Amino acid sequence: MQQSLLSIQDLTVSFAGNPAVNGISLDIVPGEVMGIVGESGSGKSVTALAIMRLLQQPGRITGGKLLYQGINLPELTENEMRSWRGNEISMIFQEPMTSLNPLHTCGHQVMEAILLHKKISRNEAREQTLALFRQVRLPDPELLMHRYPHQLSGGQKQRVMIAMAISCGPRLLIADEPTTALDVTVQKAILGLLRDLQQQTGMSVIFITHDLGVIAEIADRVAVMYKGRIVEEGTVTQLFSHPQHPYTKGLLSCRPPLDKRLYRLPVTRDFMEVDPSGNIIEKPQAVKALVNSLEIPESIITGRATFLAKQPPLLEVENLHTWFPARRNLFGKVLSWTKAVNDVSFFVKEGETMGLVGESGCGKTTLGRTLLRLQEPTAGSIRYKGKEITGLSRSSMRELRKDIQIIFQDPYSSLNPRSTVGQAILEPMQVHGMHGNDRTRREKVKELLAKVNLLPEHYDRYPHEFSGGQRQRIVIARALALEPSFIICDESVAALDVSIQAQVLNLLMQLREEFGFTYIFISHDLSVVRFISDRMMVMNKGKIEEAGPAAQVYEHPQSPYTKQLIESIPKNIYI
Amino acid sequence: MFRFLLRKLSYGLLVLLGVVILVFFLFNVLPGDPARLTLGQRADVASLENVRKELHLDKPVPVQFFLYLNDLLPISLHSKQEADASLNYITLLHFSGDRILVLKTPYLRRSYQGKKDVWEILTEALPGTLVLAVAAMLFATVVGIALGILSAVKQNTWMDSGAVFASVVGISAPSFFMGIVVAYLFGFVLSDYTGLHMTGSLFDTDPFSGRVLSLRNLVLPAITLGIRPLAIIVQLTRSAMLDVLHQDYIRTAYAKGLPARAVIFGHALRNALNPVITAITGWFAELLAGAFFVEYIFGWKGIGKVTVDALEKFDFPVLMGSVLFTAGIFVVINLLADLLYSIVDPRIKL
Repeated sequence: MQQSLLSIQDLTVSFAGNPAVNGISLDIVPGEVMGIVGESGSGKSVTALAIMRLLQQPGRITGGKLLYQGINLPELTENEMRSWRGNEISMIFQEPMTSLNPLHTCGHQVMEAILLHKKISRNEAREQTLALFRQVRLPDPELLMHRYPHQLSGGQKQRVMIAMAISCGPRLLIADEPTTALDVTVQKAILGLLRDLQQQTGMSVIFITHDLGVIAEIADRVAVMYKGRIVEEGTVTQLFSHPQHPYTKGLLSCRPPLDKRLYRLPVTRDFMEVDPSGNIIEKPQAVKALVNSLEIPESIITGRATFLAKQPPLLEVENLHTWFPARRNLFGKVLSWTKAVNDVSFFVKEGETMGLVGESGCGKTTLGRTLLRLQEPTAGSIRYKGKEITGLSRSSMRELRKDIQIIFQDPYSSLNPRSTVGQAILEPMQVHGMHGNDRTRREKVKELLAKVNLLPEHYDRYPHEFSGGQRQRIVIARALALEPSFIICDESVAALDVSIQAQVLNLLMQLREEFGFTYIFISHDLSVVRFISDRMMVMNKGKIEEAGPAAQVYEHPQSPYTKQLIESIPKNIYI
Repeated sequence: MFRFLLRKLSYGLLVLLGVVILVFFLFNVLPGDPARLTLGQRADVASLENVRKELHLDKPVPVQFFLYLNDLLPISLHSKQEADASLNYITLLHFSGDRILVLKTPYLRRSYQGKKDVWEILTEALPGTLVLAVAAMLFATVVGIALGILSAVKQNTWMDSGAVFASVVGISAPSFFMGIVVAYLFGFVLSDYTGLHMTGSLFDTDPFSGRVLSLRNLVLPAITLGIRPLAIIVQLTRSAMLDVLHQDYIRTAYAKGLPARAVIFGHALRNALNPVITAITGWFAELLAGAFFVEYIFGWKGIGKVTVDALEKFDFPVLMGSVLFTAGIFVVINLLADLLYSIVDPRIKL
């Protein structure tokens, strides 16, 4: 066996006495890409920060060793460690948007790292930075040297981060969810870049993600983390073809499959239960068998399609334009427009789920907001139940908003932290004077909580006591409170881990069965849209590129843009 | 950038116009006869009538207002003899008769006391106030930011709680009280050690050499005046730094291997400055308007003292002049503050 570059031995990290990482051991060999997979809170980021010794108070390494080439990192003085950071071991973070200092130019931030660790002149450092920018395939490196981070796209920022991380030729690169915040096409490009750089330089990479699909694209070996422990470790092929641990099986199967339609997505609970003392109880279940048993037969799919085709349209949109002024002259006259939604026409049948896919900045969110008239359209018509709503007065619009609900992306910021979960769901009912008095409303809220798989006891709790997935379910319950018939989901699962995403998607499907909702499901993730939608539209630069039945668009894409989107999706390799 | 300046300038002018209107009509309804105030109680009717005519008091109020506005505008119409008598001007155009269009310093009329030109009174008082305000703000900014950083970096230690406690005390102590305490303590009780006096201005009158610059008189009023802005700057810097120190890019900076000092001064401080700039420029404008109490207590000759003196004597032109002057200073400083934001933060495009 090869001498390992980094050997993690029985590492324990605690936050004020609570262990976040609980005695993990892992060896990283020179030149390999080691994937660490797990959901948020599993301790994977904490492990990375512990290696860098960048844990924030009150986090502390309370046990174990981190042997980097035989040297125990926790025993180094802060000064010694500093000369290793960015030099021997460097790190890329999840949020490219906020990980660069907004007040320094990109060139400066990379040069700073080089000048810190190498004894060279500023001019040489500038040359090296330019070379690095070329190496990470940034367009127009000379120009970007003097650009500030806010002038770059997310993908470009992440490339600058990568350039910074590899600037001093580190032997170990830790990438903590480097592509999670990016569009799929950009994700594919960044993963390709990391893979190439790894092969050119021969460095080792620890790649952290919640998404096994990404791991399949880049890693040689994987470790699965669950609640601060490593539950399974192996090569990618081993782990994907013969997962041993029930949690791994859950992770593997919860990504929406692209080749078949399921009644619901498998979740980790299909494979395991956790008893009150935290022990895992395994359920005998094989991945393939479960997925196959959940497949919807072709006859039912076509049956639903013909049924929906006969339904009356609930929403009809014709030549919708939403433009924003981009530049004005001295007198406030608009010189040019940002055409966020540019001549869009479509319809949604009653009970149908319409998927809307596109990358960030394509106009899909603006379209969703315009449908609710949270954003006024520039031109065009929107008809809801045959009634034109573009000219409606404020009061009749308010009446209509009861019927159309929207569920936003970020469950953390869309709940008021100072009101209890119960109040949050109760309030819209009060505003619209539903269900008589507060006592019956409270009963109704408890019913709703049960509907979204939460407990009636949660009524008096505050949002911060809940996880991301639970919060999104609270937001769904709040939307249901008004008994709408039409729900717009704007990236409602984008901020969630894949395993949690599966649970929320299942809930949305189940509610559709129960109440016959009509959905518009907006997402950047084609596999999610493919899973939940009857028909879907692909949006690009404010226009609809392509529309049709979900399976048809996926299997026989017509426009080159759709093809590119589909190619960028990490493929499941377990079936 | 140009558009921004134009817009800001026009807003500023609108604000000034509003202030002029308000001030003019406010002082018009105040009791007191300007003619009597100028000539004293024993003047005869004929002279009173003359002065009334000179001050345009015989004309209807709207006409008076437009004449006042005409006097204030830097470009205005006057008769030649009027201009020669009271304006500091360059002639731009001659009209028929002896009317001329002139470019001039704003004419704020003359003081009722001693008939001195108000513009002159104010510009004479300005250096004193300017030096005092700059000194006070320099003291407050340097010490305030340093203490703010210290307490943010050493959060929850005795240094942090000490700085926070001191700044709360500083905010709570009114300047007239602090002024008396500081003047008494350092200018009287400890005068032998500090060598400072209780009162004095930027320029002392020396029996032999006339006006001499005496900077040591600046120390006590500047410190007194700086205490409150200092306290607020400490708090603002502290909270802004605490916020910034938890940002992702600070983690990135540490991950590069930068030492803490470089991270704090190179990466965190500039990002934390925005609220601090707002406080600094706001306070600076306020101090420039004259620190009434502090100037009065320390006998410092500045705009504040001139205004208070004028108030005691119902010297309306001086009061109106100082209000307008102050408004002008606020407008200019606000414009500078906006420019400063765009220099500090490249994301703010003007």
